[in-house]
Amino acid sequence: MTQRFFSFATTLSALLLLFCLGAARLEAAPLTVEVVGAGGNHATVVQAAPSGNGARAAELQKAVGFNLSILPIVRLLNPNGVPGGAAVSSPSGEGVDFNPFVLAGAQLLITTHWSDASQVELRCFSTADGSFMFGNRYSVAGGENGVLDVAEKFCADFLDAVIGNGNLFRSTLAFVKTDGARKKDVWAVRVNGRNLRRLTNMRGEALSPSWSPDGGRVIFTHIDKRSHGLGVYSMGAGTVTRMKFAGNTVIGPAYMPDGRVAVSLTDGRNPSIFVLGHGLQKEGRLDSNSAIDVSPSVDASGSLMAFTSSRLGGPQIFLKDLRNGAVRRISQVGRYNSDPSISPDGTLIAYARQEGGGHRIYVQDMVTGQERQLTFGPGSDEEPAFAPDNYFIAFMSTRNGKKELYLTTRYGGEPRRIPTGPGDAAFPAWSPARK
Amino acid sequence: MNRTLRRSLLLLLTVLLMAGFGCAKKQVDQVDAYDEDELAMTESERQAALQIGNGVVYFEYDSFTLSAQAKNTLTQKAQVLRQVPQLRTTIEGHCDERGTQEYNLALGERRARAAYEFLVNLGVGAGQMDIVSFGKLHPAVSGGGEAAWAKNRRDEFKVYKPRQ
Repeated sequence: MTQRFFSFATTLSALLLLFCLGAARLEAAPLTVEVVGAGGNHATVVQAAPSGNGARAAELQKAVGFNLSILPIVRLLNPNGVPGGAAVSSPSGEGVDFNPFVLAGAQLLITTHWSDASQVELRCFSTADGSFMFGNRYSVAGGENGVLDVAEKFCADFLDAVIGNGNLFRSTLAFVKTDGARKKDVWAVRVNGRNLRRLTNMRGEALSPSWSPDGGRVIFTHIDKRSHGLGVYSMGAGTVTRMKFAGNTVIGPAYMPDGRVAVSLTDGRNPSIFVLGHGLQKEGRLDSNSAIDVSPSVDASGSLMAFTSSRLGGPQIFLKDLRNGAVRRISQVGRYNSDPSISPDGTLIAYARQEGGGHRIYVQDMVTGQERQLTFGPGSDEEPAFAPDNYFIAFMSTRNGKKELYLTTRYGGEPRRIPTGPGDAAFPAWSPARK
Repeated sequence: MNRTLRRSLLLLLTVLLMAGFGCAKKQVDQVDAYDEDELAMTESERQAALQIGNGVVYFEYDSFTLSAQAKNTLTQKAQVLRQVPQLRTTIEGHCDERGTQEYNLALGERRARAAYEFLVNLGVGAGQMDIVSFGKLHPAVSGGGEAAWAKNRRDEFKVYKPRQ
Protein backbone atom coordinates (compact mmCIF):
# COMPACT_ATOMS: atom_id res chain seq x y z
CA MET A 1 0.00 0.00 0.00
CA THR A 2 2.82 2.34 0.86
CA GLN A 3 4.38 1.73 -2.50
CA ARG A 4 1.11 2.31 -4.30
CA PHE A 5 0.48 5.46 -2.34
CA PHE A 6 3.95 6.69 -3.10
CA SER A 7 3.57 6.00 -6.80
CA PHE A 8 0.30 7.86 -7.00
CA ALA A 9 1.58 10.79 -4.98
CA THR A 10 4.66 10.91 -7.16
CA THR A 11 2.55 10.97 -10.29
CA LEU A 12 0.48 13.81 -9.03
CA SER A 13 3.26 15.79 -7.48
CA ALA A 14 5.19 15.66 -10.73
CA LEU A 15 2.22 17.13 -12.53
CA LEU A 16 2.67 20.53 -14.09
CA LEU A 17 -0.59 21.98 -15.23
CA LEU A 18 -0.60 24.11 -18.33
CA PHE A 19 -3.50 26.45 -18.83
CA CYS A 20 -2.53 28.27 -21.97
CA LEU A 21 -3.94 25.80 -24.47
CA GLY A 22 -7.36 26.05 -26.08
CA ALA A 23 -9.59 29.05 -26.49
CA ALA A 24 -12.21 27.68 -24.15
CA ARG A 25 -9.73 26.99 -21.37
CA LEU A 26 -10.37 29.22 -18.39
CA GLU A 27 -7.56 31.48 -17.18
CA ALA A 28 -5.44 30.28 -14.29
CA ALA A 29 -1.94 30.57 -13.00
CA PRO A 30 0.26 27.52 -13.66
CA LEU A 31 0.90 25.52 -10.52
CA THR A 32 2.09 22.18 -9.32
CA VAL A 33 -0.49 20.13 -7.50
CA GLU A 34 0.18 17.41 -5.01
CA VAL A 35 -2.81 15.41 -3.90
CA VAL A 36 -2.22 13.33 -0.81
CA GLY A 37 -4.52 11.96 1.79
CA ALA A 38 -5.64 9.10 3.93
CA GLY A 39 -7.06 7.30 0.91
CA GLY A 40 -3.54 6.67 -0.28
CA ASN A 41 -4.10 5.80 -3.89
CA HIS A 42 -7.19 7.83 -4.64
CA ALA A 43 -8.29 11.44 -4.47
CA THR A 44 -11.47 12.44 -2.65
CA VAL A 45 -13.69 14.61 -4.80
CA VAL A 46 -16.89 16.52 -4.12
CA GLN A 47 -19.12 18.33 -6.59
CA ALA A 48 -20.35 21.78 -5.57
CA ALA A 49 -24.00 22.60 -6.22
CA PRO A 50 -24.30 23.95 -9.79
CA SER A 51 -25.08 27.62 -10.35
CA GLY A 52 -26.52 29.66 -13.22
CA ASN A 53 -29.32 29.04 -15.70
CA GLY A 54 -28.80 25.41 -16.51
CA ALA A 55 -32.07 23.61 -17.07
CA ARG A 56 -30.04 20.44 -17.43
CA ALA A 57 -27.76 21.10 -14.46
CA ALA A 58 -28.89 18.07 -12.48
CA GLU A 59 -28.43 15.84 -15.51
CA LEU A 60 -24.84 17.02 -16.02
CA GLN A 61 -24.09 16.81 -12.29
CA LYS A 62 -25.18 13.19 -12.28
CA ALA A 63 -23.26 12.28 -15.45
CA VAL A 64 -20.00 13.87 -14.24
CA GLY A 65 -20.44 12.20 -10.85
CA PHE A 66 -20.99 8.81 -12.43
CA ASN A 67 -17.98 9.16 -14.73
CA LEU A 68 -15.77 10.06 -11.77
CA SER A 69 -17.16 7.25 -9.66
CA ILE A 70 -15.90 4.60 -12.07
CA LEU A 71 -12.32 5.84 -11.75
CA PRO A 72 -10.27 3.75 -9.31
CA ILE A 73 -8.28 6.88 -8.45
CA VAL A 74 -11.34 8.82 -7.27
CA ARG A 75 -13.56 8.50 -4.24
CA LEU A 76 -16.62 10.65 -4.84
CA LEU A 77 -18.03 12.17 -1.65
CA ASN A 78 -21.67 12.90 -0.93
CA PRO A 79 -22.14 16.70 -1.03
CA ASN A 80 -24.55 16.37 1.90
CA GLY A 81 -21.49 15.73 4.05
CA VAL A 82 -20.19 19.26 3.54
CA PRO A 83 -20.96 21.39 6.64
CA GLY A 84 -23.31 24.19 5.63
CA GLY A 85 -23.97 22.64 2.23
CA ALA A 86 -22.04 22.23 -1.03
CA ALA A 87 -22.99 25.57 -2.63
CA VAL A 88 -20.14 27.96 -3.45
CA SER A 89 -20.34 31.75 -3.50
CA SER A 90 -18.39 31.97 -6.74
CA PRO A 91 -17.78 29.13 -9.24
CA SER A 92 -14.53 30.83 -10.23
CA GLY A 93 -13.27 30.19 -6.72
CA GLU A 94 -12.86 33.82 -5.77
CA GLY A 95 -13.70 34.35 -2.11
CA VAL A 96 -14.79 30.74 -1.65
CA ASP A 97 -14.31 29.28 1.82
CA PHE A 98 -12.77 25.88 1.14
CA ASN A 99 -12.68 24.87 4.81
CA PRO A 100 -16.07 23.12 4.86
CA PHE A 101 -14.93 20.98 1.91
CA VAL A 102 -11.69 20.13 3.71
CA LEU A 103 -13.72 19.20 6.78
CA ALA A 104 -15.88 16.92 4.61
CA GLY A 105 -12.68 15.15 3.57
CA ALA A 106 -12.59 16.44 0.00
CA GLN A 107 -9.23 17.07 -1.63
CA LEU A 108 -10.70 18.27 -4.90
CA LEU A 109 -13.75 20.48 -5.48
CA ILE A 110 -15.55 20.66 -8.80
CA THR A 111 -17.71 23.71 -9.51
CA THR A 112 -20.26 24.02 -12.29
CA HIS A 113 -21.62 27.29 -13.63
CA TRP A 114 -24.12 27.55 -16.46
CA SER A 115 -23.63 30.84 -18.36
CA ASP A 116 -26.82 30.05 -20.22
CA ALA A 117 -28.73 26.96 -21.29
CA SER A 118 -26.03 25.87 -23.76
CA GLN A 119 -22.79 27.03 -22.11
CA VAL A 120 -21.33 25.55 -18.97
CA GLU A 121 -18.08 26.16 -17.11
CA LEU A 122 -16.56 23.37 -15.06
CA ARG A 123 -13.62 23.99 -12.74
CA CYS A 124 -11.54 21.88 -10.41
CA PHE A 125 -9.86 23.24 -7.26
CA SER A 126 -7.51 21.82 -4.68
CA THR A 127 -9.24 22.40 -1.35
CA ALA A 128 -6.00 22.37 0.64
CA ASP A 129 -5.00 25.84 -0.57
CA GLY A 130 -7.90 26.81 -2.79
CA SER A 131 -5.72 26.69 -5.88
CA PHE A 132 -7.34 26.38 -9.28
CA MET A 133 -6.27 23.15 -11.03
CA PHE A 134 -8.02 23.40 -14.36
CA GLY A 135 -11.27 24.46 -15.94
CA ASN A 136 -13.00 24.69 -19.28
CA ARG A 137 -16.05 26.21 -20.89
CA TYR A 138 -18.11 23.68 -22.82
CA SER A 139 -20.89 24.10 -25.36
CA VAL A 140 -23.80 21.81 -24.60
CA ALA A 141 -25.55 20.45 -27.69
CA GLY A 142 -29.24 19.66 -27.52
CA GLY A 143 -30.65 16.18 -27.19
CA GLU A 144 -29.79 13.38 -24.87
CA ASN A 145 -26.15 13.23 -25.93
CA GLY A 146 -25.29 16.90 -25.34
CA VAL A 147 -24.91 16.67 -21.59
CA LEU A 148 -23.31 13.21 -21.72
CA ASP A 149 -20.74 14.42 -24.26
CA VAL A 150 -19.80 17.34 -22.01
CA ALA A 151 -19.50 15.05 -18.99
CA GLU A 152 -17.08 12.84 -20.91
CA LYS A 153 -15.07 15.79 -22.21
CA PHE A 154 -14.76 17.23 -18.74
CA CYS A 155 -13.69 13.89 -17.27
CA ALA A 156 -11.12 13.48 -20.06
CA ASP A 157 -9.81 16.94 -19.14
CA PHE A 158 -9.87 15.89 -15.48
CA LEU A 159 -7.65 12.90 -16.24
CA ASP A 160 -5.43 15.05 -18.46
CA ALA A 161 -4.85 17.21 -15.38
CA VAL A 162 -4.56 14.48 -12.75
CA ILE A 163 -2.63 11.69 -14.49
CA GLY A 164 -1.48 13.53 -17.60
CA ASN A 165 -3.67 11.59 -20.03
CA GLY A 166 -7.45 11.67 -20.51
CA ASN A 167 -7.68 9.03 -23.23
CA LEU A 168 -9.73 6.72 -21.03
CA PHE A 169 -12.77 8.81 -21.95
CA ARG A 170 -11.71 9.05 -25.60
CA SER A 171 -11.62 5.30 -26.17
CA THR A 172 -14.23 2.60 -26.73
CA LEU A 173 -14.03 -0.92 -25.37
CA ALA A 174 -14.74 -3.91 -27.54
CA PHE A 175 -15.55 -7.00 -25.53
CA VAL A 176 -17.22 -10.40 -25.79
CA LYS A 177 -20.69 -10.93 -24.42
CA THR A 178 -22.32 -14.30 -23.89
CA ASP A 179 -25.64 -14.46 -25.65
CA GLY A 180 -27.08 -17.89 -24.92
CA ALA A 181 -25.61 -21.37 -25.09
CA ARG A 182 -22.57 -21.59 -27.32
CA LYS A 183 -23.08 -18.06 -28.60
CA LYS A 184 -20.76 -15.17 -27.88
CA ASP A 185 -20.60 -11.95 -29.86
CA VAL A 186 -18.45 -8.85 -29.99
CA TRP A 187 -19.98 -5.77 -28.40
CA ALA A 188 -18.73 -2.24 -27.81
CA VAL A 189 -19.19 0.15 -24.91
CA ARG A 190 -17.63 3.28 -23.44
CA VAL A 191 -15.88 2.89 -20.11
CA ASN A 192 -18.89 4.47 -18.36
CA GLY A 193 -21.35 2.04 -19.94
CA ARG A 194 -22.48 4.54 -22.54
CA ASN A 195 -23.27 3.56 -26.13
CA LEU A 196 -23.46 -0.16 -25.37
CA ARG A 197 -24.03 -1.89 -28.68
CA ARG A 198 -23.70 -5.21 -30.44
CA LEU A 199 -21.17 -5.42 -33.25
CA THR A 200 -21.54 -9.04 -34.39
CA ASN A 201 -24.38 -11.53 -34.43
CA MET A 202 -23.07 -14.90 -35.55
CA ARG A 203 -23.65 -18.52 -34.80
CA GLY A 204 -20.77 -19.74 -32.65
CA GLU A 205 -18.46 -17.99 -30.26
CA ALA A 206 -16.36 -14.87 -30.68
CA LEU A 207 -13.28 -14.38 -28.49
CA SER A 208 -10.27 -12.06 -28.21
CA PRO A 209 -11.31 -8.89 -30.08
CA SER A 210 -8.63 -6.38 -31.11
CA TRP A 211 -9.01 -2.93 -32.73
CA SER A 212 -7.21 -1.85 -35.87
CA PRO A 213 -4.91 1.16 -35.35
CA ASP A 214 -7.36 3.44 -37.16
CA GLY A 215 -10.33 2.14 -35.16
CA GLY A 216 -12.07 1.06 -38.35
CA ARG A 217 -12.01 -2.69 -37.78
CA VAL A 218 -12.21 -5.22 -34.97
CA ILE A 219 -10.70 -8.65 -35.52
CA PHE A 220 -11.49 -11.64 -33.34
CA THR A 221 -11.35 -15.41 -33.07
CA HIS A 222 -14.59 -17.07 -34.13
CA ILE A 223 -15.30 -20.67 -33.21
CA ASP A 224 -18.17 -22.62 -34.73
CA LYS A 225 -18.93 -26.27 -34.24
CA ARG A 226 -16.15 -27.45 -36.55
CA SER A 227 -13.61 -24.74 -37.02
CA HIS A 228 -11.79 -21.67 -35.86
CA GLY A 229 -11.97 -18.59 -38.04
CA LEU A 230 -10.58 -15.06 -38.03
CA GLY A 231 -13.49 -12.63 -37.90
CA VAL A 232 -13.04 -9.13 -39.26
CA TYR A 233 -15.73 -6.63 -38.32
CA SER A 234 -15.85 -3.41 -40.34
CA MET A 235 -17.11 -0.48 -38.27
CA GLY A 236 -18.13 1.48 -41.34
CA ALA A 237 -20.04 -1.24 -43.16
CA GLY A 238 -21.20 -3.11 -40.06
CA THR A 239 -20.32 -6.41 -41.74
CA VAL A 240 -18.16 -9.40 -40.81
CA THR A 241 -15.80 -11.42 -42.96
CA ARG A 242 -14.74 -14.80 -41.63
CA MET A 243 -11.50 -16.36 -42.80
CA LYS A 244 -10.25 -19.89 -42.23
CA PHE A 245 -6.64 -20.95 -42.15
CA ALA A 246 -4.92 -24.25 -42.77
CA GLY A 247 -4.63 -26.15 -39.50
CA ASN A 248 -8.02 -24.90 -38.35
CA THR A 249 -6.70 -22.97 -35.35
CA VAL A 250 -6.95 -19.20 -34.82
CA ILE A 251 -6.14 -17.91 -31.32
CA GLY A 252 -5.78 -14.41 -29.89
CA PRO A 253 -5.39 -12.10 -32.91
CA ALA A 254 -3.85 -8.71 -32.18
CA TYR A 255 -3.42 -5.78 -34.50
CA MET A 256 0.07 -4.34 -34.79
CA PRO A 257 0.50 -0.55 -35.11
CA ASP A 258 1.28 -0.82 -38.84
CA GLY A 259 -2.07 -2.53 -39.49
CA ARG A 260 -0.70 -6.06 -39.78
CA VAL A 261 -1.97 -8.77 -37.43
CA ALA A 262 -0.14 -11.10 -35.05
CA VAL A 263 -2.11 -14.29 -34.36
CA SER A 264 -1.57 -17.89 -33.29
CA LEU A 265 -2.14 -20.38 -36.08
CA THR A 266 -1.14 -24.01 -36.41
CA ASP A 267 1.27 -24.78 -39.16
CA GLY A 268 2.22 -28.37 -38.56
CA ARG A 269 2.32 -29.50 -34.98
CA ASN A 270 1.96 -26.58 -32.57
CA PRO A 271 0.21 -23.21 -32.25
CA SER A 272 2.74 -20.51 -33.21
CA ILE A 273 2.51 -16.76 -33.68
CA PHE A 274 2.32 -15.67 -37.31
CA VAL A 275 2.18 -12.22 -38.84
CA LEU A 276 -0.60 -11.58 -41.35
CA GLY A 277 -0.16 -8.81 -43.90
CA HIS A 278 -2.61 -6.05 -44.69
CA GLY A 279 -4.66 -8.48 -46.76
CA LEU A 280 -4.54 -10.93 -43.84
CA GLN A 281 -2.33 -13.28 -45.82
CA LYS A 282 0.40 -15.16 -43.94
CA GLU A 283 3.71 -13.30 -44.05
CA GLY A 284 5.71 -15.51 -41.75
CA ARG A 285 6.13 -17.15 -38.38
CA LEU A 286 7.57 -14.97 -35.64
CA ASP A 287 9.24 -17.71 -33.64
CA SER A 288 10.00 -21.31 -34.45
CA ASN A 289 9.89 -23.91 -31.69
CA SER A 290 7.84 -26.93 -30.70
CA ALA A 291 5.94 -25.28 -27.86
CA ILE A 292 2.66 -23.38 -27.61
CA ASP A 293 3.00 -19.66 -28.41
CA VAL A 294 -0.18 -17.59 -28.00
CA SER A 295 -1.62 -14.20 -27.00
CA PRO A 296 0.62 -11.67 -28.78
CA SER A 297 0.40 -8.07 -27.52
CA VAL A 298 2.41 -5.42 -29.36
CA ASP A 299 3.37 -1.95 -28.11
CA ALA A 300 2.52 1.26 -29.97
CA SER A 301 5.95 1.49 -31.60
CA GLY A 302 5.60 -2.00 -33.06
CA SER A 303 8.99 -3.02 -31.71
CA LEU A 304 8.05 -5.08 -28.65
CA MET A 305 5.72 -8.06 -28.46
CA ALA A 306 4.68 -9.80 -25.24
CA PHE A 307 3.27 -13.32 -25.56
CA THR A 308 2.58 -16.53 -23.67
CA SER A 309 4.76 -19.55 -24.35
CA SER A 310 5.11 -23.07 -22.95
CA ARG A 311 8.70 -23.36 -24.24
CA LEU A 312 10.01 -23.89 -20.72
CA GLY A 313 7.19 -26.17 -19.58
CA GLY A 314 4.08 -24.43 -18.29
CA PRO A 315 2.80 -21.16 -19.72
CA GLN A 316 4.99 -18.11 -18.98
CA ILE A 317 5.21 -14.56 -20.30
CA PHE A 318 7.96 -13.69 -22.77
CA LEU A 319 8.97 -10.52 -24.58
CA LYS A 320 10.26 -10.48 -28.14
CA ASP A 321 12.14 -7.51 -29.54
CA LEU A 322 10.83 -7.43 -33.09
CA ARG A 323 13.78 -5.29 -34.21
CA ASN A 324 16.47 -7.86 -33.47
CA GLY A 325 14.50 -11.03 -32.69
CA ALA A 326 15.76 -11.33 -29.11
CA VAL A 327 13.39 -13.13 -26.74
CA ARG A 328 13.51 -12.96 -22.96
CA ARG A 329 11.39 -14.40 -20.19
CA ILE A 330 9.35 -11.88 -18.20
CA SER A 331 7.33 -13.78 -15.57
CA GLN A 332 9.63 -15.43 -13.04
CA VAL A 333 7.21 -16.46 -10.29
CA GLY A 334 4.47 -19.08 -10.46
CA ARG A 335 3.84 -22.02 -12.78
CA TYR A 336 1.08 -20.52 -14.89
CA ASN A 337 1.27 -16.96 -16.22
CA SER A 338 -0.76 -15.99 -19.29
CA ASP A 339 -2.86 -13.27 -20.99
CA PRO A 340 -0.15 -10.60 -21.39
CA SER A 341 -0.98 -7.01 -22.29
CA ILE A 342 1.91 -4.65 -22.98
CA SER A 343 1.35 -0.94 -22.28
CA PRO A 344 1.33 1.17 -25.45
CA ASP A 345 4.56 2.86 -24.36
CA GLY A 346 6.22 -0.54 -23.94
CA THR A 347 7.28 0.00 -20.34
CA LEU A 348 4.86 -2.34 -18.53
CA ILE A 349 3.40 -5.79 -19.10
CA ALA A 350 0.26 -6.89 -17.26
CA TYR A 351 -0.65 -10.59 -17.08
CA ALA A 352 -2.70 -13.12 -15.16
CA ARG A 353 -1.06 -15.54 -12.73
CA GLN A 354 -2.79 -18.70 -11.60
CA GLU A 355 -2.93 -18.92 -7.81
CA GLY A 356 -4.87 -20.98 -5.31
CA GLY A 357 -8.29 -19.43 -5.75
CA GLY A 358 -8.06 -18.41 -9.40
CA HIS A 359 -5.97 -15.98 -11.44
CA ARG A 360 -4.70 -12.58 -10.27
CA ILE A 361 -3.45 -9.67 -12.35
CA TYR A 362 0.20 -8.67 -12.00
CA VAL A 363 2.21 -6.02 -13.78
CA GLN A 364 5.94 -5.99 -14.41
CA ASP A 365 7.95 -2.84 -14.99
CA MET A 366 10.25 -3.44 -17.96
CA VAL A 367 12.68 -0.80 -16.75
CA THR A 368 13.15 -1.92 -13.14
CA GLY A 369 12.10 -5.57 -13.49
CA GLN A 370 9.85 -5.10 -10.46
CA GLU A 371 6.58 -7.02 -10.32
CA ARG A 372 3.46 -5.73 -8.59
CA GLN A 373 0.20 -7.54 -7.79
CA LEU A 374 -2.73 -5.45 -8.97
CA THR A 375 -5.80 -7.55 -8.11
CA PHE A 376 -6.70 -9.80 -5.22
CA GLY A 377 -9.95 -11.48 -6.26
CA PRO A 378 -12.11 -13.09 -5.01
CA GLY A 379 -12.92 -15.31 -7.95
CA SER A 380 -10.62 -15.14 -10.93
CA ASP A 381 -9.14 -12.02 -12.55
CA GLU A 382 -8.02 -12.57 -16.15
CA GLU A 383 -7.52 -10.94 -19.55
CA PRO A 384 -5.95 -7.59 -18.55
CA ALA A 385 -5.92 -4.88 -21.23
CA PHE A 386 -3.91 -1.67 -21.02
CA ALA A 387 -5.86 1.44 -21.98
CA PRO A 388 -4.27 3.82 -24.52
CA ASP A 389 -3.20 6.07 -21.61
CA ASN A 390 -0.70 3.47 -20.27
CA TYR A 391 -2.38 3.98 -16.88
CA PHE A 392 -5.73 2.21 -16.59
CA ILE A 393 -6.19 -1.53 -17.08
CA ALA A 394 -9.47 -3.28 -17.85
CA PHE A 395 -9.82 -6.95 -16.97
CA MET A 396 -12.38 -9.72 -16.65
CA SER A 397 -13.28 -10.88 -13.16
CA THR A 398 -15.66 -13.41 -11.63
CA ARG A 399 -15.54 -11.69 -8.21
CA ASN A 400 -19.29 -11.25 -8.18
CA GLY A 401 -20.15 -14.69 -9.47
CA LYS A 402 -20.39 -13.96 -13.17
CA LYS A 403 -17.88 -12.72 -15.70
CA GLU A 404 -17.78 -8.92 -15.72
CA LEU A 405 -15.36 -6.20 -16.76
CA TYR A 406 -13.51 -4.09 -14.20
CA LEU A 407 -11.14 -1.16 -14.27
CA THR A 408 -7.99 -0.82 -12.19
CA THR A 409 -4.73 1.08 -12.63
CA ARG A 410 -1.08 0.23 -13.15
CA TYR A 411 -0.74 0.79 -9.40
CA GLY A 412 -3.63 -1.50 -8.51
CA GLY A 413 -6.40 0.99 -7.74
CA GLU A 414 -9.57 -0.45 -6.21
CA PRO A 415 -11.35 -2.16 -9.14
CA ARG A 416 -14.52 -0.48 -10.43
CA ARG A 417 -17.06 -2.36 -12.52
CA ILE A 418 -17.55 -1.30 -16.13
CA PRO A 419 -21.27 -1.44 -16.97
CA THR A 420 -21.90 -3.91 -19.82
CA GLY A 421 -25.55 -4.90 -19.33
CA PRO A 422 -26.87 -8.43 -18.82
CA GLY A 423 -24.84 -11.45 -19.91
CA ASP A 424 -21.29 -12.52 -19.12
CA ALA A 425 -18.67 -10.06 -20.38
CA ALA A 426 -15.02 -10.88 -21.14
CA PHE A 427 -12.00 -9.98 -23.29
CA PRO A 428 -11.90 -6.18 -22.97
CA ALA A 429 -9.99 -4.42 -25.78
CA TRP A 430 -9.49 -0.65 -26.00
CA SER A 431 -9.90 1.27 -29.22
CA PRO A 432 -7.35 3.89 -30.21
CA ALA A 433 -8.18 7.24 -28.57
CA ARG A 434 -10.28 9.65 -30.60
CA LYS A 435 -8.52 12.91 -31.42
CA MET B 1 -32.39 -7.68 -47.59
CA ASN B 2 -33.17 -11.32 -48.13
CA ARG B 3 -30.79 -14.09 -47.17
CA THR B 4 -29.90 -15.11 -50.71
CA LEU B 5 -29.05 -11.57 -51.73
CA ARG B 6 -27.04 -11.04 -48.57
CA ARG B 7 -25.08 -14.23 -49.18
CA SER B 8 -24.45 -13.25 -52.78
CA LEU B 9 -23.10 -9.88 -51.70
CA LEU B 10 -20.90 -11.50 -49.07
CA LEU B 11 -19.60 -13.96 -51.63
CA LEU B 12 -18.88 -11.11 -54.04
CA LEU B 13 -17.09 -9.23 -51.26
CA THR B 14 -15.10 -12.33 -50.44
CA VAL B 15 -14.06 -12.83 -54.06
CA LEU B 16 -13.05 -9.18 -54.33
CA LEU B 17 -11.03 -9.47 -51.15
CA MET B 18 -9.26 -12.55 -52.43
CA ALA B 19 -8.57 -10.93 -55.78
CA GLY B 20 -7.32 -7.80 -54.07
CA PHE B 21 -5.07 -9.44 -51.56
CA GLY B 22 -4.05 -12.64 -53.25
CA CYS B 23 -5.35 -14.97 -50.54
CA ALA B 24 -5.63 -18.64 -51.21
CA LYS B 25 -9.21 -19.40 -52.11
CA LYS B 26 -9.66 -21.74 -49.16
CA GLN B 27 -8.65 -19.09 -46.68
CA VAL B 28 -11.81 -17.06 -46.94
CA ASP B 29 -15.17 -18.28 -45.86
CA GLN B 30 -18.54 -16.64 -45.56
CA VAL B 31 -19.90 -15.47 -42.29
CA ASP B 32 -22.36 -18.27 -41.68
CA ALA B 33 -21.66 -20.81 -44.40
CA TYR B 34 -20.42 -23.55 -42.10
CA ASP B 35 -23.63 -25.44 -41.64
CA GLU B 36 -26.10 -27.26 -43.86
CA ASP B 37 -23.26 -29.42 -45.10
CA GLU B 38 -24.41 -32.78 -43.81
CA LEU B 39 -26.18 -35.69 -45.52
CA ALA B 40 -28.44 -38.20 -43.78
CA MET B 41 -26.67 -41.42 -42.77
CA THR B 42 -27.78 -44.95 -43.53
CA GLU B 43 -28.49 -47.25 -40.59
CA SER B 44 -25.10 -48.94 -40.86
CA GLU B 45 -23.37 -45.58 -41.04
CA ARG B 46 -25.28 -44.44 -37.97
CA GLN B 47 -24.09 -47.50 -36.07
CA ALA B 48 -20.51 -46.80 -37.13
CA ALA B 49 -20.88 -43.14 -36.11
CA LEU B 50 -22.07 -44.24 -32.67
CA GLN B 51 -19.07 -46.51 -32.26
CA ILE B 52 -16.69 -43.73 -33.26
CA GLY B 53 -18.41 -41.14 -31.11
CA ASN B 54 -18.56 -43.33 -28.01
CA GLY B 55 -15.49 -43.33 -25.83
CA VAL B 56 -13.94 -40.07 -24.73
CA VAL B 57 -10.16 -39.72 -24.49
CA TYR B 58 -8.96 -38.10 -21.23
CA PHE B 59 -5.76 -36.21 -20.38
CA GLU B 60 -3.70 -35.19 -17.38
CA TYR B 61 -3.53 -31.54 -16.27
CA ASP B 62 -1.71 -29.25 -18.74
CA SER B 63 -0.81 -32.33 -20.81
CA PHE B 64 -1.64 -33.62 -24.28
CA THR B 65 0.11 -36.97 -23.89
CA LEU B 66 -2.03 -39.97 -24.85
CA SER B 67 -2.31 -42.53 -22.05
CA ALA B 68 -2.33 -46.28 -22.71
CA GLN B 69 -6.08 -46.26 -22.20
CA ALA B 70 -6.46 -43.39 -24.64
CA LYS B 71 -4.44 -45.24 -27.26
CA ASN B 72 -6.60 -48.32 -26.78
CA THR B 73 -9.76 -46.25 -27.26
CA LEU B 74 -8.34 -44.62 -30.38
CA THR B 75 -7.28 -47.96 -31.83
CA GLN B 76 -10.87 -49.18 -31.61
CA LYS B 77 -12.10 -46.00 -33.29
CA ALA B 78 -9.53 -46.38 -36.06
CA GLN B 79 -10.84 -49.83 -36.96
CA VAL B 80 -14.34 -48.41 -37.50
CA LEU B 81 -13.17 -45.21 -39.20
CA ARG B 82 -11.27 -47.17 -41.85
CA GLN B 83 -14.48 -49.00 -42.75
CA VAL B 84 -16.53 -45.83 -43.35
CA PRO B 85 -14.32 -43.45 -45.34
CA GLN B 86 -17.46 -41.60 -46.44
CA LEU B 87 -17.95 -40.37 -42.85
CA ARG B 88 -16.01 -37.49 -41.39
CA THR B 89 -14.99 -36.98 -37.78
CA THR B 90 -14.40 -33.71 -35.97
CA ILE B 91 -12.00 -34.26 -33.08
CA GLU B 92 -12.79 -31.73 -30.37
CA GLY B 93 -10.09 -30.80 -27.85
CA HIS B 94 -11.27 -29.60 -24.43
CA CYS B 95 -9.68 -28.38 -21.18
CA ASP B 96 -10.70 -27.96 -17.57
CA GLU B 97 -11.71 -24.58 -16.18
CA ARG B 98 -8.47 -23.63 -14.43
CA GLY B 99 -6.40 -22.08 -17.18
CA THR B 100 -7.11 -18.96 -19.21
CA GLN B 101 -9.09 -19.03 -22.45
CA GLU B 102 -6.42 -18.43 -25.07
CA TYR B 103 -3.80 -20.77 -23.63
CA ASN B 104 -6.49 -23.42 -23.16
CA LEU B 105 -7.49 -23.06 -26.81
CA ALA B 106 -3.90 -23.89 -27.71
CA LEU B 107 -3.78 -26.81 -25.25
CA GLY B 108 -7.08 -28.16 -26.58
CA GLU B 109 -5.68 -27.96 -30.10
CA ARG B 110 -2.70 -30.07 -29.09
CA ARG B 111 -4.98 -32.62 -27.44
CA ALA B 112 -7.11 -32.90 -30.56
CA ARG B 113 -4.02 -33.06 -32.76
CA ALA B 114 -2.49 -35.81 -30.61
CA ALA B 115 -5.52 -38.01 -31.33
CA TYR B 116 -5.54 -37.00 -34.99
CA GLU B 117 -1.93 -37.97 -35.50
CA PHE B 118 -2.36 -41.27 -33.68
CA LEU B 119 -5.32 -42.12 -35.90
CA VAL B 120 -3.41 -41.15 -39.06
CA ASN B 121 -0.61 -43.49 -37.97
CA LEU B 122 -3.21 -46.24 -37.69
CA GLY B 123 -4.21 -45.72 -41.30
CA VAL B 124 -7.18 -43.40 -41.00
CA GLY B 125 -7.27 -40.95 -43.89
CA ALA B 126 -6.14 -37.43 -42.93
CA GLY B 127 -8.94 -36.05 -45.07
CA GLN B 128 -11.46 -37.97 -42.99
CA MET B 129 -10.81 -35.89 -39.88
CA ASP B 130 -10.91 -32.28 -38.71
CA ILE B 131 -9.68 -30.94 -35.42
CA VAL B 132 -11.16 -28.07 -33.44
CA SER B 133 -10.28 -26.80 -29.99
CA PHE B 134 -12.88 -25.38 -27.65
CA GLY B 135 -10.44 -24.78 -24.79
CA LYS B 136 -12.49 -24.48 -21.61
CA LEU B 137 -15.60 -23.18 -23.37
CA HIS B 138 -17.64 -26.39 -23.18
CA PRO B 139 -17.07 -28.44 -20.03
CA ALA B 140 -18.64 -31.89 -19.97
CA VAL B 141 -19.20 -31.57 -16.24
CA SER B 142 -19.87 -28.33 -14.41
CA GLY B 143 -18.32 -27.41 -11.07
CA GLY B 144 -14.80 -27.46 -9.67
CA GLY B 145 -12.63 -30.11 -8.06
CA GLU B 146 -10.45 -32.80 -9.59
CA ALA B 147 -13.37 -35.16 -10.26
CA ALA B 148 -15.00 -32.60 -12.58
CA TRP B 149 -11.72 -31.32 -14.02
CA ALA B 150 -10.60 -34.86 -14.96
CA LYS B 151 -13.79 -35.36 -16.98
CA ASN B 152 -13.32 -32.06 -18.78
CA ARG B 153 -9.74 -32.58 -20.00
CA ARG B 154 -10.75 -34.61 -23.03
CA ASP B 155 -11.12 -35.25 -26.74
CA GLU B 156 -14.61 -35.85 -28.08
CA PHE B 157 -15.39 -37.27 -31.51
CA LYS B 158 -18.31 -35.93 -33.56
CA VAL B 159 -19.19 -37.83 -36.73
CA TYR B 160 -21.12 -36.61 -39.76
CA LYS B 161 -21.59 -37.42 -43.39
CA PRO B 162 -20.35 -34.51 -45.44
CA ARG B 163 -22.01 -33.27 -48.59
CA GLN B 164 -19.32 -33.89 -51.18
